[in-house]
Amino acid sequence: MMNVLSYQHFPIYAIMVLFLGAFLIVLFGKNKIARSCLALLSVTGSLALLVSLVPRVMLNGEIITYWMGNRAYAGGYAIGIALEVDALSLFFALLIAVAVFVSCVYSIRYMEHDDNIPQYYTLFLMLAGGVLGLVLSGDLFNMFIMVEILTFAAVALTAFRNTARGALEAAFKYLVVGSIGSTCILAGTIMLYAQVHTLNFAQLSALIPGHLNGSTRVAFALLFVGFSTKAFLVPFHPLAADAHGAAPASISVLISGVLTKSGIYGIIRLVYFLFQSMGLRPIQFMLVFVGSVSMFVCVTMALAQHDFKRLLAFHSISQIGYVLTAVGLSTALGISAGLYHAMNHTIFKGLLFLAAGAVLHETGTTDLDRLGGLSKRMPHTTVLFLIGAASISGIPPFNGFASKWLIYQAAYLRAVETGNIGYLLVTIIALVTSTLTLASFVKVSQSVFFGRLPEEFKDVKEVPFGMRFAMSLFAILCVLTGLLPDLVTKLLSGPAAQAVLNPIRYIAAARGIEMPVENAALPQAAGAWSPINWLLLLGIALFAITLVALLGKYDQVSENASGEKLPAKYDLFFSGEKSVYSQVGGGDLFWGFKHNWRHYFSFMHDLHSGVVNDYALWAVVALALAIAFLQIVL
Amino acid sequence: MFSLAFLQTALLYLGYILIFPGFLFCFVIGLLLCGIDRKAVARMQKRVGPPILQPFYDFFKLCGKETIVPAAANRTTFMLAPLVGLAALVVIQLFIPVFNFRVFRNLPEVADIIVILYLLLIPAVSVMLGGAATGSPYAGVGLSREMVTVLAVELPLVLVLLSVAKTVGNALGNGLVFSLSGIVDFQAAHGSLIGRVSMIPAALAMLLIIPGETGNHPFDAAEAETEICEGLLAEYSGAPLGIYKLSHAVKMLTLTSLFVALFLGGIGTGVEHLVAAIGLTGGFAAALSLILQVLILVLLCIVLTLVTISFVHAVTARLKIEQLFKYYWTVVTGLALISLVLAWYGY
Repeated sequence: MMNVLSYQHFPIYAIMVLFLGAFLIVLFGKNKIARSCLALLSVTGSLALLVSLVPRVMLNGEIITYWMGNRAYAGGYAIGIALEVDALSLFFALLIAVAVFVSCVYSIRYMEHDDNIPQYYTLFLMLAGGVLGLVLSGDLFNMFIMVEILTFAAVALTAFRNTARGALEAAFKYLVVGSIGSTCILAGTIMLYAQVHTLNFAQLSALIPGHLNGSTRVAFALLFVGFSTKAFLVPFHPLAADAHGAAPASISVLISGVLTKSGIYGIIRLVYFLFQSMGLRPIQFMLVFVGSVSMFVCVTMALAQHDFKRLLAFHSISQIGYVLTAVGLSTALGISAGLYHAMNHTIFKGLLFLAAGAVLHETGTTDLDRLGGLSKRMPHTTVLFLIGAASISGIPPFNGFASKWLIYQAAYLRAVETGNIGYLLVTIIALVTSTLTLASFVKVSQSVFFGRLPEEFKDVKEVPFGMRFAMSLFAILCVLTGLLPDLVTKLLSGPAAQAVLNPIRYIAAARGIEMPVENAALPQAAGAWSPINWLLLLGIALFAITLVALLGKYDQVSENASGEKLPAKYDLFFSGEKSVYSQVGGGDLFWGFKHNWRHYFSFMHDLHSGVVNDYALWAVVALALAIAFLQIVL
Repeated sequence: MFSLAFLQTALLYLGYILIFPGFLFCFVIGLLLCGIDRKAVARMQKRVGPPILQPFYDFFKLCGKETIVPAAANRTTFMLAPLVGLAALVVIQLFIPVFNFRVFRNLPEVADIIVILYLLLIPAVSVMLGGAATGSPYAGVGLSREMVTVLAVELPLVLVLLSVAKTVGNALGNGLVFSLSGIVDFQAAHGSLIGRVSMIPAALAMLLIIPGETGNHPFDAAEAETEICEGLLAEYSGAPLGIYKLSHAVKMLTLTSLFVALFLGGIGTGVEHLVAAIGLTGGFAAALSLILQVLILVLLCIVLTLVTISFVHAVTARLKIEQLFKYYWTVVTGLALISLVLAWYGY
């Protein structure tokens, strides 16, 4: 019998702490301090437990297999409920725990003026526990149960501010299409069980590759589509926009940083472990195709948005497209780059959503056409936002660039290796998408933080310290993971990528067989990029230039005295259109670009009808296409 | 740690950053290119034109002028943006080899061409943020156009860089070469890339990209003095404006020398042998060959400026922003694409 404090128990404790917190908050949540403490304690505990596993799992390559109630096998089949934690699981679990922790810190001040706060924290912790359970589970059916828990918690939280316009509608859409996804996962699970009589991941992975027949192919398609809805890949992207637009910012962090990652995690487990199918070109094609389409379609959709949070939502999927594409390249460099980007996405997108939440908290709106000039009123938020924006747009030396750069390298190397011109196209799409991302964040900077400050926001104040603190945590992570790519690869994404490439170890570990870690060399990129050295150079150059400038009296400036705004009666026209003044409307800022793409944009506009029936239809069509594709080519 | 050798190395690198090929070199040659461009355009339009040193006079005069921060502006961003943009440009210049001369010869390379592609965005972004921070409507329009220009230029530039990487990789038989010094080394050994059929369209595309990146006529919709009062710079005055003008000049140098490194890298690399051939050795020979290489680079940059910036400026009228975008994504991208396809099939 294992000691209750031994590390094998840590994964289940990490999940239990969150659910326990959820239930305790129901009991004691009336008191403000009690519920904040409980929530913080459970998320901190969960994070600490997972971090303590890093040396064993990441560095030594240990795989922790845990059977609940010590019931493992009967008649050669795994009947017990298993948790199996390899480097891949722990990698995603850490992302989740960090995002949940920061979001919880932020929630304390952000949600203080809402009603029903105890319910908020209960659902919040249920959602967190559900996602954590999903990535740590070693059992397909438990994964489905966790999917159910997290989907319903997420739906409820989307509609948490149900007096807000559109919140209920968003939750309803999410519920409908999310349920289709969950049903797909359930159906896929059942079909696999019918074929190989087990639900344990490791055992499934051992059996399925030998049982590839019509039924398992359909199951594959069902599971793939099911997890895609959780990751909001195209064609499920409109839901994400609605959900993010309505949900509180702290929940958006979870939906984009955590929920979508669980979908990606599911897809990786599915293709690399359960079916071990990444050697097959059609599967590689499917992943890279869906990834690239998501990447490009969603970035163009984001360019057309007028709402801060909806814009972020579309970018979220665009970045997930990068992750899926990189993972689909099925090279060590690609997988490692993809996972690295998944991590960075959680961090920078979390930061951006929190910044959007800060703007909403102070101004009451996220409409890009109405906002402007907040940088004078909210200087800290502006700096934090700019760090996040630079990260997502892939500006060196922030983290988004570090991982995207690896993805470009991986894609182009893959193109050269295979001689396949499709991968070349993917590289180009990835490079251009990054610039389009930059364009839309320049738009946000201009429309929200710079530009002219409208009259109605003259008295806006900076957000409370608690919220700025949470954002700063993410911002620091953005800089650190950007400056130390080698460390991240060595410690986090590298071991996870090795785990992905060695499903045999995972299968053996469930049987209690410890296989040696193959210390395959970490993938090397073709190019060179050392952010620390660059930053050093920039620092010296900037210091020197600033010094010269200051010696030349650069800082002796005069404020523009005549900049005082004259009373409105001196304006020629001051009502009507003039009063809802925006310099260039948010959605139309880059009309020089949009004009050339007008047919594409009007096509997209017609396609995204906002009617849930259409989206449900898309889900069904996607499923049909996936089944047909796999039946024909596999 | 603080041994003499360390101090020497530190001073050497400080010299690289501040004097050559860093700040001072950029300052002098950049403004010189700018002056030559203005004079040449004037001569082509049958004007007398300003003296070649006019940009220097302009810069120093602007530095002595009063700086007015608009009441609506965010002061920190307004003042900091020009400095960051200039520093980023100077650092890029360190990564561009001057034929055989490399700043990072004894160190691992800091940035490859894909990184340089994105580092080039930093000056553009800092101009945009600085302009946006003024709150001026002219800056709003300028920002919109500047970003679309960046978008327009990015696609062909990506294709050019990928096709160069592929061509060099093909020739060396190892797939891909992203390292800029690797590309120049290759050209030193096997002749300049411009001599290859597959690279001619890419070189043409790059020639067309240069005025777009620097925001020169006819691709200067973002500045358009006559309609939007220089857009992003509308509210700038005094020293910060001077620094923007300087950054613009340095960008001309950066892009033309990038062109030299990418396509004409073989021209100046033989100088060392030439110097050795006339019987010189030791430190003096090394210094002489470096000076000669720098002179060749400057000459090539001047020629490229005359061809891509001055000549194009003199004979064209400003494009509207949507025309600019279309031009880059069709004509220039097409040229770059031809190169990429040729490179892909091994020509």
